Amino acid sequence: MAAFVRNRRALVGLGMVAVIAAFCFIGPLLYRTDQVTVRLDLANLPPGTGNPLGTDASGYDVLGRMMAGGRSSLELGFAVALTTTVIGTLYGAVAGYLGGIVDAVMMRVIDTFLAIPGIVLLLIMVSMITPTLWSIVLLLSLLSWLGAARLVRGEVLALRTREFVLAARMMGGTGGRIVLRHLVPNAAGVIIVSGTFTIADSILTLSALSFLGLGLPPPHADWGTMLSAGLNSLYDGYWWLVYPPALILITTVVAFNLIGDAVHDALDVRQQRP
Amino acid sequence: MPPLLEVRNLTTHIRTRRGTVRAVDDVSFTLEAGETLGLVGESGCGKSMTGLSLMGLLPPGGAMVGDSSVALDGRELVGLPERDLRRVRGNDIAMVFQDPMTSLDPTKTIGHQVAEGVLLHRGCSRAEAADRAAEVLGLVGLPHPRERLKDYPHQLSGGLRQRVLIAMALANEPRVLIADEPTTALDVTIQAQILALLADLRARLGMAMILITHDMGVTAGHTDRVNVMYAGRIAESTGTDRLFHGMRHPYTQSLLASVPRLDQDPGKELPTIPGMPPDLTDPPGGCRFAGRCRYATDRCRTDEPELTGSDQHRYACWHPTDGPLPPSATAAVPRATEAAAPAVHDRPLLEARGLVREFPVRGARIPGRGRRVVHALSGVSLELAPGETFGLVGESGCGKTTLGRLLVGLDRPDTGTVTLDGTDLGLLRGRELRRRRRDLQMMFQDPFSSLDPRMRVGGILREPLQIQGIGTAREQKARVAELLAEVGLPERGAELYPHEFSGGQRQRIGLARALALTPKLIVADEPVSALDVSVRAQVLNLMNRLQASHGLSYIVISHDLAVVRYLADRIGVMYLGRMVEVGSADDIHLRAAHPYTAGLLKAVPVPDPQLERAKLGTGISGELPSPVDPPSGCRFRTRCPLARERCADEEPALRLFGAGHTAACHFPLQQPLPDTPAKAATDASA
Amino acid sequence: MTAYLLRRTGQALVVVFGVMVLTFVMIHLVPGSAARASLGTRATAERIALFNAANGLDRPLAAQFVSFVQQAAEGNFGTSYSLHQPVSTLIAQRLPRDGVLLGLSTLLALSVALPMGIFQAVRRGRVADHVLTVVSFVLYSMPDFFFALLLVAVFSVQLHLLPSQAPQAESVAGILADPRALVLPVVTLTLVSVAGFSRYMRSSAIGTLAQEYVQVARSKGLPERLVLRRHVLRNSLLPVVTVLGLSAPTVVAGAVIAESVFNYPGMGLLFFQAATSKDYPVMLGSTLVVGVATVIGSLLADIAYSLLDPRIRYVDA
Repeated sequence: MAAFVRNRRALVGLGMVAVIAAFCFIGPLLYRTDQVTVRLDLANLPPGTGNPLGTDASGYDVLGRMMAGGRSSLELGFAVALTTTVIGTLYGAVAGYLGGIVDAVMMRVIDTFLAIPGIVLLLIMVSMITPTLWSIVLLLSLLSWLGAARLVRGEVLALRTREFVLAARMMGGTGGRIVLRHLVPNAAGVIIVSGTFTIADSILTLSALSFLGLGLPPPHADWGTMLSAGLNSLYDGYWWLVYPPALILITTVVAFNLIGDAVHDALDVRQQRP
Repeated sequence: MPPLLEVRNLTTHIRTRRGTVRAVDDVSFTLEAGETLGLVGESGCGKSMTGLSLMGLLPPGGAMVGDSSVALDGRELVGLPERDLRRVRGNDIAMVFQDPMTSLDPTKTIGHQVAEGVLLHRGCSRAEAADRAAEVLGLVGLPHPRERLKDYPHQLSGGLRQRVLIAMALANEPRVLIADEPTTALDVTIQAQILALLADLRARLGMAMILITHDMGVTAGHTDRVNVMYAGRIAESTGTDRLFHGMRHPYTQSLLASVPRLDQDPGKELPTIPGMPPDLTDPPGGCRFAGRCRYATDRCRTDEPELTGSDQHRYACWHPTDGPLPPSATAAVPRATEAAAPAVHDRPLLEARGLVREFPVRGARIPGRGRRVVHALSGVSLELAPGETFGLVGESGCGKTTLGRLLVGLDRPDTGTVTLDGTDLGLLRGRELRRRRRDLQMMFQDPFSSLDPRMRVGGILREPLQIQGIGTAREQKARVAELLAEVGLPERGAELYPHEFSGGQRQRIGLARALALTPKLIVADEPVSALDVSVRAQVLNLMNRLQASHGLSYIVISHDLAVVRYLADRIGVMYLGRMVEVGSADDIHLRAAHPYTAGLLKAVPVPDPQLERAKLGTGISGELPSPVDPPSGCRFRTRCPLARERCADEEPALRLFGAGHTAACHFPLQQPLPDTPAKAATDASA
Repeated sequence: MTAYLLRRTGQALVVVFGVMVLTFVMIHLVPGSAARASLGTRATAERIALFNAANGLDRPLAAQFVSFVQQAAEGNFGTSYSLHQPVSTLIAQRLPRDGVLLGLSTLLALSVALPMGIFQAVRRGRVADHVLTVVSFVLYSMPDFFFALLLVAVFSVQLHLLPSQAPQAESVAGILADPRALVLPVVTLTLVSVAGFSRYMRSSAIGTLAQEYVQVARSKGLPERLVLRRHVLRNSLLPVVTVLGLSAPTVVAGAVIAESVFNYPGMGLLFFQAATSKDYPVMLGSTLVVGVATVIGSLLADIAYSLLDPRIRYVDA
């Protein structure tokens, strides 16, 4: 982790995430807005006093809505990353450690799910059930653990022939112990990388679903819904409905990608010079 | 006339995140046509970086600074524009790199890779370049070079790849050849062949050669003059004979003394060099060796000694010694087996009978051709008495590591049994097997991969106790401290992570972990081959001491015959999955019966110039045949100078050559005892 | 190599079977949903039962699966509820158009990303590397639809340079005849892929540059430009080829978005419209086709890999 702290890119990413999280979670305490009542008389006001970033088509204050939307986006991203990481890590570690037929079967299952583009599966699912925040978390998790599992499996395959794993077997260590005490901690880097990328990807995928009209149902707010709603009125000149949510959405995704990429690079360096 | 190559005040700095590494510091030497200069020292002493500096191929952040000068035939190379330097590189000065496995581009044919340099420097046609490539590949001893031009590197063995690398370097008949550890990654048998090839080519082409090596035996046999380097500087520079018999620098003296030799008295401790080389980002003032030198005084720690002496012999030392250390004065460690003669035990500790292990060839089940298997072990038996050390030697691929894994139960034999203290390991399953593991421990080769990098050393040493449920938490902690003390590490080491230790220290931690369960047997697979010479001696001494104090049995697997000779009471020589000879250390070294054993011994370079030069031939010709299709009859016959028809038809049985000395050969070098059937021979070897 | 390819093809067949099971399971996840989707939510129970009987939906699941597989093998995916055409016809019309769109953009993306990755690896840690890194991060982090609409806003609405709608022609030739209309959809998909591919190429090339054989090539006196072209390029390409095979689903996902933004009449748009109108036969037929195409894509990538890497090509020669 020392390399992680020294890494400027990771620190910049972490800093950005901290600021955005503060904006979304502490911001509403300092800047109170009504995000429930529709006020068509206040619709599409340009930025000015009272509404620093204007209002949207329902008369909601854009700045306040960005805070509320950010909460859903971040919560969703973290929730998906958490479930994904746990499931993917265990699945991948077991497949990689056991190897042979078990591994082959487990990997074909993953290949099957990966063969169908995630958004296609999502659209099918979403067309059959009415989306809620938690059902979307569930669906996104069902799709994203595949990548994590593949990564962890690859890492475990490389790790399991290392001599310290043999040493643990020589002491009489059980398979479970070896996976949990030696393989998973040593794959931690890869797991963190995949987790941060999953947060970024989930936020993006949610925004794509919103754009396709299959995102979170109202009155939920999220950046993707705000952005796609705003884009409909881009040609009316309501720029404040587009650029602020776009900026914060992209910044957030960049921040998580920066962290993931920096950790990934740090791991590469370690592998080159053991 | 200027010398062929003149290096003056070469100083190379490498800027890294941790600071500037002074990799080469004020190094000067000359090289004449036709001579071989050795650059000798431990890893990190700057010898490779000197070679790369001469080529102008420094890593990113590296630069030659100050008034560094490299002159080839009077022409200054430092500061030359890259364009002009490229004309020198690969044309006038060429380099052979260490690792033949990673030094060839896997996606290009070897013909292409050899011809590439020819095409570049000679401006000839493609056909002419290919002709030249075939010619040099023939010169370096690649069989049927013309047909092999279209081969890819992965189709060749390590030895052949090294030959291709040499061909690449020689393609343009360079005047200076820099060989950077050209044989370190190879087996001794192949090493001898490659070194003989280099010597022959140097003489035939009239090249000058710089041989970079850490191996004092290789230095003794294959150099005319030697620069001993330490911490980026030249410590001593003289003719090879004088270096070995009249060295003046204490570092040279200790380095030579710490190498285990075949003619070493195994009862004596090896002299060691304490400590580690200094950090080159911040080298100490004064003599850089002072911290590890037995003769160091205050003056050494403050004033830096200049290279002095005559042109024939220069050294940088305030208190020069005179010649090698006298034979070790350290008291001999009483060996467990001498105290309790093995013959007294009526039951061996470990007994392996007829072990066979075959692995399917990866992914190549071609319809109609049947299943192809690697014959890793084809019927190996051995016995080990309590307190005994058994050495296993042989070229890589002979099955010694597979045997080691079977003996500790990490893998199971296809047929055959391993019996520990009367229990058949093959019958143990699950929990019972896991419990039984405490008697059998293993010490691994690679100190960087054998310790879990995410656990503290204390956790690593406690883990075996936790798994086996031995003691309370407090007792376990006390045991950790005890183990650390036993292997000579401070108690606070328990709080540190493995990467905070040096390679030698990690190997001690690995040994401590193996000892934690007070096993009866430790299998040590290449325990010191990843370590530097000076550290190697420390670990070997420690292994000997611990054996004596714990009454341990060892099985030591090593490609290094001197290491095995130093540690082992009895030695088994393996060839292509078979045990070809077993005997006491003296039987093997003084009375070898199998031609393979004799050849293997001959190939080991001895750190003595006279002995090395007196050798005729290289020991064993050719390379290990594929274990997928081992030769019929005697498996060694394809490389054996004594092989006759019978060797192909009939598999030789083990015959008895003396008490406990057996070998499997139809035409042995020693007279076998009359009429001993094979079965009796195996039994007698106990 | 034959053994390798046989094994690899076997795996691909297993995955195709898995895709069939998966799509089949999805139809039956919500019982009666197909009938409701077709007949409307207020359909009576009798009408639903009639519909199910007519479509064989009342038979045992195993029997339904067998006939599903049989029909799929014949290319029969049923008839669209909303477009009232055989699904196979709809797919056959649109698949070639996707070939044009995805083929063009992937080719373009590779021809930008590969040199860019190598360039960044060589200049690692310098200003140019940092600038390109930031650019690819921003591109990678932008929602596809936002990026597409931004391009429309700038190039169609503001500058009036390019049409905002993709070519609507029926045939591939017709689509290619209108290159100006093709620019924005192709550029959108290209730039989104460039970001990912160039990152992979960069890290792969950094790994290759650290290899000993690169140093050996330099020691022959080879100019850096030739070292890169002869020894670094091909070796760095190997891992990227695998990634290319794996990225097929991402590319398809991008296509769904881009096609709905630019109204490009491809599979993505077909699928999206089917999803919004709950047109199950179309959804399942196109899912199956896309799944099989993805499997074929990654199989092709592995074949390309084995051709590029002699260690696989000559393994049992």
